[in-house]
Amino acid sequence: MDSTGIVIGFWVLSAITVVSSLLVLVARNLMHALAFLVLAFLGMAGLFITLSADFVAVAQVLIYAGSISVLMVFAVMLTPLASRDNGNSLYVLPGVVAGLGIASLVAFVAVDTEWAERTGAALAESDFASTVGEVGRLLLGRYVLAFEVASVLLLIGLLGAIVLVQERRRAATQSPDEAADTGARDGGAL
Amino acid sequence: MSEQPLQAPIRRPATPMLRQIEDRPGLKEMALGVPFGLKVIGAIMGLGALVLMAAVGYLVVDGRLDGQWYDVRDLGHAVAGLRDWLDGEGVDHRLTWLITGALGGLAIMSIVGGWLLIGSWVERRVIAKFQIRMGPNRTGLFGLLQPIADAVKLMTKEIIIPRGADRFLYYIPPVLVFVPAMLGWAPIPWAPNMAYMDINVGVLYVVAISSIGVLAIFLAGWSSNNHYSLLGAMRTVAMMISYEIPISLALLSVVLLTQSMQLSEIVAFQGHYHVWMIAIIPFAAFAFLFASTAEINRSPNDIGEAESEIVAGFYTEYSGMKAGLFMAVELAHAILVGALMATFFLGGYTLFGLEEWVPGYLILAAKIGAVYFLFVWLRGTLPRFRLDQLMGFAWKFLIPLGIIQAFIVAIEASVFVRVDAPAFITLGAFAVVNLASTVVMVRFWADRLGYAPAQHATKPELTNALGGLKAAQRLRS
Amino acid sequence: MASHAFEVDQTGTGSAEPFVLNIGPQHPSTHGVFRLRVVMDGEIIRDLDMIVGYLHRSMEKLAEERTYTQNIPFTDRADYLAAMTGNLGLALAVERMTGVESPDRAEYLRVIFSELQRIASHAMANGTLVSDAGAWQTPLLYMFREREKILDLFEMTCGARLTTNYMRIGGVAFEPPAEFWPALQELLDELPERTDEYAQLLVDNEIFLARTRNVGIISAEDAINASLTGPALRGSGVPWDLRKAEPYCGYENFDFDIPVGKVGDVYDRFMVRMEEVKQSVHIIRQAVEQIPPGPHKNDIPLALRPEPGEIYSRIESPRGEIGFYLVSDGTPAPYRFHLRSPALINLSLLRELGEGASLPDAVVTLGSIDIVLGEIDR
Repeated sequence: MDSTGIVIGFWVLSAITVVSSLLVLVARNLMHALAFLVLAFLGMAGLFITLSADFVAVAQVLIYAGSISVLMVFAVMLTPLASRDNGNSLYVLPGVVAGLGIASLVAFVAVDTEWAERTGAALAESDFASTVGEVGRLLLGRYVLAFEVASVLLLIGLLGAIVLVQERRRAATQSPDEAADTGARDGGAL
Repeated sequence: MSEQPLQAPIRRPATPMLRQIEDRPGLKEMALGVPFGLKVIGAIMGLGALVLMAAVGYLVVDGRLDGQWYDVRDLGHAVAGLRDWLDGEGVDHRLTWLITGALGGLAIMSIVGGWLLIGSWVERRVIAKFQIRMGPNRTGLFGLLQPIADAVKLMTKEIIIPRGADRFLYYIPPVLVFVPAMLGWAPIPWAPNMAYMDINVGVLYVVAISSIGVLAIFLAGWSSNNHYSLLGAMRTVAMMISYEIPISLALLSVVLLTQSMQLSEIVAFQGHYHVWMIAIIPFAAFAFLFASTAEINRSPNDIGEAESEIVAGFYTEYSGMKAGLFMAVELAHAILVGALMATFFLGGYTLFGLEEWVPGYLILAAKIGAVYFLFVWLRGTLPRFRLDQLMGFAWKFLIPLGIIQAFIVAIEASVFVRVDAPAFITLGAFAVVNLASTVVMVRFWADRLGYAPAQHATKPELTNALGGLKAAQRLRS
Repeated sequence: MASHAFEVDQTGTGSAEPFVLNIGPQHPSTHGVFRLRVVMDGEIIRDLDMIVGYLHRSMEKLAEERTYTQNIPFTDRADYLAAMTGNLGLALAVERMTGVESPDRAEYLRVIFSELQRIASHAMANGTLVSDAGAWQTPLLYMFREREKILDLFEMTCGARLTTNYMRIGGVAFEPPAEFWPALQELLDELPERTDEYAQLLVDNEIFLARTRNVGIISAEDAINASLTGPALRGSGVPWDLRKAEPYCGYENFDFDIPVGKVGDVYDRFMVRMEEVKQSVHIIRQAVEQIPPGPHKNDIPLALRPEPGEIYSRIESPRGEIGFYLVSDGTPAPYRFHLRSPALINLSLLRELGEGASLPDAVVTLGSIDIVLGEIDR
């Protein structure tokens, strides 16, 4: 954290992230909230870059800004317009409690962790070119079990989604009123 | 028609334009009609060019240029030289980086901007040739000023915001949609030392950046408060999400073989072994190209803005230069995909050793142009897929086969690292294996899906009979 | 008819999921000022209303103020893509009503020009169909190449390209000029090659086949019940062509076949038109060989006064059966002038075809029916 550029970048990105996160809460329109959420994600990615965590930064953009947000957009689109208001709800209190809990957990971890802080020559010495190789080695080495469990979880989610959709379609084609309807159409056509 | 073997000429409407076209001299007349003085000057200039080429050849063979700042084959040397010089002059180090960074950014922007200026002209002229038309030829020499005229027209048009549109979100997409089209250029290497941002996670970066574009399109479609826009946005987003997977799988194959996610390394691999990735992993190259056309809304996969169905898709409601930006970004995307295709599969700036003699960026530009021409060709030839066909193609065909292909390539990659054989033997074997496996996979999978190519299209039956339903039933049986 | 479309909340503010999409009257693939109000559930059409009348020019009423010959230009403007057959339909109707004969040469010229018009119209229909399938106008412009030559032939004969006003009661307006015949011969020589060229471009194109086969299927029963005519009927496999069923202008003297489809899908209608172009070339070839010398027009009174009575006369236009129902009260102007529009009646089946189809399929189906709004609205 020596360079002034990094310091300026840190503060600008932090401001973007924090302000847009607050706007997510404040914005009345759910789509606007979503747009600010994406901005917050991008700010986070920028923060990761200032930490030289290039892989995490790109993954943040790819997964959160690119995919998760689109998923949310779809979810918003599929809800009726009337319930797209980002208004008050009964979930405010539990939400605040949960948010505070997560924040205090992160704060505790941040305070508790023994940060290997280095400056100047020591920083330059410990600098490595890319985190990708390191991340890959750890994922397929030390944390391989967690990695596999996560992938199996995703697979189950995928199959579950397919099964759910399949089930509904079969039920729809077999429902008697639907059959009667198509029958009436066939008979009545012209 | 050019030939007119008629006894008497057809009386065509004698419009001024037709007359002018008729009177225009052919190439031969133009070549013969050049004054003598100009011919002499041309001959001298030609000789001069030959001498210059010989001198360049001598310099290259001599090796005197290598690594010098005036080495035009790699402008990276010039930038490095500028940086050293500025540092030597005592300029603040941060300012030096700022200046060189701004220079690089300016270069990329001028490439995209320059292409936006001539790209639409090129596309319209080429398509006009496909369609036996003239194309724009009235504004300036060969109609070259047409894009400028179009831009001026678009800028002077009123910008209409539809009633009920979300004003805040309506303004963002035309700008936001340009961001990935510009940022995507950063990691592309134009010469060995000539990449703006040669990051280690280049491949991931490209995929990540392209996923931001989805958001802009969705916001455009949603905020317009128009059903056409919404349909277009839904189509585009569904397609982009689906086709990101084949793209990632195709790039995974490339990364596995070249053992790097750095774009310059990928190109260096192809340059080192004098082989293009498209020869080793043809299926991945096809998947990337096809999925890219879907990602950037080009024919035959332009269902997001299918004109005959949903008018202009997600930008139906935009007018003036806002619509112009959406149209321009299509061109920018097309050449970006051309550059990525060239980098990943067509050897990037290398051309079997020619990059020693010719600037690498010119080679890359030629390859980009070739891919772009392919896009225009497809657009001028093919009808459009339907949404469900396109989705089915991605999920039922490209993704399963892409996974199998990536698996095969992973085995090959580990073999490549471990076996100590000449590269042309291993890579040649991989090429043969991959081609064979692709053919087998595609045929087998197509059979499994119950697809049979329509070899003999049904022709209508010719009959002399006449009648109603009875005759129809008789004919059918 | 329209009420069911309004039952769905049009603004989308309610909880109803289907939404209403207005396709047209200004839309790239409605082939004119035609409006479809579509209730859509995602990409699937749940209900569909056809709204016509944006090009209504009150022709049938205006015709009651004019003499029969003066009414011929209205038929140009009704089916503006097939003006010759429109002209011929009216001329024949009046001839049958009054007993006026037209000379032999005129009959052959009528056959030549209406078959040329059929080729031009089919080129337009198939070209726009492929454009609707998304082929960005390339096939359309190729087909325009031939259409352009045919329009040149029209122009050198009667001075107009679209609104020909060529057929007259008792003959045709002009004798074609000397340069007409070699130009026609050249066109006839290259047309079969050209149609084969389009076949190469399109018929074997996987994407085109995927978009058109088994899409918009009309069964023979449905086609007959909806009184479809023309290529839309023949595409469904019903061999019905007025040129054979009720020969006029000496069509019985020519050798030609009726192409009929097997499935009744968009592709069959497309191919039937392609084949009809070849058959038309065949007919024109025979007509050019057999055409006798003589006058091209019989003299008829300027103000023709048919006996009081009525007549329904029909011929085969490129779109199907174009019929004229004329009622005379003995004055020079018709008491009632009605045009049976083949495009309007063919269009009536679109609702059944569109329900349950996806939007792209509906667009292609509409293209395959080949509507001309000038004739539908009149």
